[in-house]
Amino acid sequence: MTLKHQLVVDHLAAGYGEKTILNDINIDIKAGQITSIIGANACGKSTLLRTMSRLLSPSNGQVLLDGKSIHNTPTRQLAQTLGLLPQSPIAPEGITVSDLVSRGRHPHHGFLSRWRKEDDEAIAKALETTKTTELLDREIDELSGGQRQRVWIAMALAQETDILLLDEPTTFLDVAHQIEVLDLLVDLNQNRGTTIVLVLHDLNLAARYSDQLIAIQQGQVFANGAPNEVVTEDMIHAVFGLQSQVITDPISGSPMVVPIGRHKRIKHT
Amino acid sequence: MINTNSTLARVTSGRKNRSKRWKCVASLLCLLAVAAFSITLTLGQSFTPPQDVIKVLLGENVPGASFVVGQLRLPRAIISLLVGMSFGMAGVAFQVMLRNPLASPDIIGVSSGATAAAVFAIIVLHMDGASVAFFSIAVGLLVALAVYGLSYRNGASGARLILVGIGVSAMIESFIVYLLSQAQAWDRQEAMRWLSGSVNSAQIHQALPLIISLLVFGGFLLSRTRDLEALRMGDDTAHALGVRVGMTRITVIVSAVGLIAVGVAITGPIAFVAFLSGPIAVRLVKNNGSLLIPSALVGACLVMGGDYIGQFLLPSRYPVGVITGALGAPYLIYLIIRVNRKGGSL
Repeated sequence: MTLKHQLVVDHLAAGYGEKTILNDINIDIKAGQITSIIGANACGKSTLLRTMSRLLSPSNGQVLLDGKSIHNTPTRQLAQTLGLLPQSPIAPEGITVSDLVSRGRHPHHGFLSRWRKEDDEAIAKALETTKTTELLDREIDELSGGQRQRVWIAMALAQETDILLLDEPTTFLDVAHQIEVLDLLVDLNQNRGTTIVLVLHDLNLAARYSDQLIAIQQGQVFANGAPNEVVTEDMIHAVFGLQSQVITDPISGSPMVVPIGRHKRIKHT
Repeated sequence: MINTNSTLARVTSGRKNRSKRWKCVASLLCLLAVAAFSITLTLGQSFTPPQDVIKVLLGENVPGASFVVGQLRLPRAIISLLVGMSFGMAGVAFQVMLRNPLASPDIIGVSSGATAAAVFAIIVLHMDGASVAFFSIAVGLLVALAVYGLSYRNGASGARLILVGIGVSAMIESFIVYLLSQAQAWDRQEAMRWLSGSVNSAQIHQALPLIISLLVFGGFLLSRTRDLEALRMGDDTAHALGVRVGMTRITVIVSAVGLIAVGVAITGPIAFVAFLSGPIAVRLVKNNGSLLIPSALVGACLVMGGDYIGQFLLPSRYPVGVITGALGAPYLIYLIIRVNRKGGSL
């Protein structure tokens, strides 16, 4: 990976219909890093990711890939650089793993172009990276949630994009599978240099696995920077409306949020 | 990296198997269509020896056979083949695009729109031939766009579109009934026969518009094969894979409506051919490749087979639409039950 692509969000506003959800967002996604977008429910973090991946058109401002607006770039050309794994992709009934992963090659093919050896190679590599080789001939419907998510990531990998956006890739997974998926993303980031941007619900995992954190509050960027700068008790209070104590994660050394609720406290005298 | 090599080999062989399976299914369906075509030509009220059929096809005059084969059976077989292909391909295009087997043109009002237009053109405007076809294409498109527009809210959802389509379809059906009640007795009889969908009055010159429509509209659809396949994974995923979702939708709607309307203008709406072909094709092809061509062939077999059954295998004669209707209805019920239980997908 010599060529790094630059993704910049510039004075972006977006929403659905009349309703504005995002307001004047400015973000610089650091190439070759893992960036997580965090925030409370309905704060606009998914909308931001959807606009950054041109699923949604901005009402104002723009998203620039290497200085060029992605909403004015031919979508197939864009799909060779910018990949996206949506929150709930649909697997055609009865499709096998290798078939599904091979569909990631779509943007590399025109109307009449023939299948090339490098297509098969990209698929094989994606399967290897995600450790889904053994599942190759299985049908998606029979896989566990964690396996299924790895297969979808494999499909996005087969697309061979330098930037990969993921919308809540860990949401329906148990904790072991969450770690498995996030470790896989770090592998990708380290081995292929892929720039990764994801929306994450779990603050502590976001703080542990990201190089950059973006906290969104009511459609605006509240904080943006390295996890230990962004994750503070004040930020948690402002963005999530939650009292908490931030300690150091004993495993990774990253900041870790311990929420303070109304009950279950050790009585201090 | 020894592993990667064996993975690569498995990926390659998997892909080759899929394409082999697709070719196998497509050839079998081709054979079946050819068989149905040949039976229609040789075996009717009387049996015509194949050598006589071939002579007639080559333009020789064979006493007896020339009229039966050349004038009666050949036009019938050709029109059945072409109409079946049109309906089969258009139906599956809609079903794949909206990821729902219920989204077929004969359920969501496109076919009934084209039908109402044709009935109106025949009964009220006294049009015939090409002008009926153009009129029904225009109205079919209008209905399709109306259904699409009415169900549009932050993007068109498949389920909403189907419900709106069923409603629009019911409205149009009642308009057709109204038209019929206003028609002269003779016109009504003519219109009724045509409404049930039949190839009884097939004539060879009707093949030309069907061929043109298959080449133009079918060609457009085939050029969108890959995008359609990508749409099966959801609009977002398709978009992420570089599909111009809106553009693909419009192309597919216009082309599929064109195929349906030209067919409807010639033979009437042959019930459920568009609706049945795709799901049958999916069960044969599985996920081994595009469904457009297999579904077109299934449609052709359905119309030719249904017409043959309606003509010769039942105690009295029925138009092909009655037979396909009888086949389609139970499947519709089955689908509605299944969709209720686990959500629809083709």
